[in-house]
Amino acid sequence: MIAAFANWLHATSLGWAAGGGLPWVEPACKTVHFLGLALLIGCAGLYDLRLLGMAKGLALGPLQRLMPFAALGFLINLATGVVMFAGSPFQYLENVTFWLKMLFIALAGVNVLAFYLTGLARQVAALGPGQDVPVSAKLIAAVSLCLWIGVVYWGRMLPFIGNAF
Amino acid sequence: MEFLSQIEHSGFSNWVRESGSQWSYPTILFLHTVGLAFLVGLNVAIDLRILGVARRLPVAPFERFYRIMWMGFWINAVSGIILLAADATTKLANPTFYVKMAFIAAAVVVMVRIRRTVFGDPQIDQQPIAPSAKLLAWASIICWTGAITAGRLMAYFGTDSGAPQFINRIGG
Repeated sequence: MIAAFANWLHATSLGWAAGGGLPWVEPACKTVHFLGLALLIGCAGLYDLRLLGMAKGLALGPLQRLMPFAALGFLINLATGVVMFAGSPFQYLENVTFWLKMLFIALAGVNVLAFYLTGLARQVAALGPGQDVPVSAKLIAAVSLCLWIGVVYWGRMLPFIGNAF
Repeated sequence: MEFLSQIEHSGFSNWVRESGSQWSYPTILFLHTVGLAFLVGLNVAIDLRILGVARRLPVAPFERFYRIMWMGFWINAVSGIILLAADATTKLANPTFYVKMAFIAAAVVVMVRIRRTVFGDPQIDQQPIAPSAKLLAWASIICWTGAITAGRLMAYFGTDSGAPQFINRIGG
């Protein structure tokens, strides 16, 4: 099923363009992918660092205003990632590094869900400046930082592990 | 050129470029990306606050993140020098490299200026943010965007790497 989807995607004009049909598409996507990465890790990472105890003068409720920018970074990278994938889908599908990257992104998603669904997000949003968050929130922040750095790691390793590129 | 070639063919540079070890080129490139994420990412988050995002928060505590930003800067200065040494003749002949350096120099000057003029002002959270501070925040976003763009495009402009078997790796 995944192979069928990959074949279909590769056959679209998007796949053609990203696969070298329009030579500027792949460099442009890679460039924007790095801009999205910085936005996502900068905004989400700043929030995580505050949870871990840095810059406690910042109240966590209003600090959540940075989250839409982290989400924007994620969406930019999802979009540019899909385009690059369309250009040569099997280079990714046949590379274990790609699946590890996807796994880490999924785990980061589960981690975010855990933060919101357990009510921790609301609990820390009610804290004022200078207050410390519960240990469980610190754990989620540490896991978040490790997972996003892990996502960068697997992404960077795509050309080096598995020899697919 | 002779000198650059010597650097490029030193034992260490050869190891970085050609050993195939997971700890050489791949890991150094990974560190360069993590440093970028924290230096540029946190700086842009600060820029966003200066530009009015999350305006209910005081600006002053954001200065704490400069420590992490400088850590990112030094990780990238060191990893960048190693990556440059491994491919010195090619990269230093690439005009895009100098565009990248110019953007980084400007971005760091802006970053230091924001610390001096915005965070250095004891009245920072007693009055609205000055238009000059907002201008610096925009300059910061533009310079970092330029630095990342030029850095990425180094792989596509200029001559191919001096290590043919690594074109994809050094380039990609």
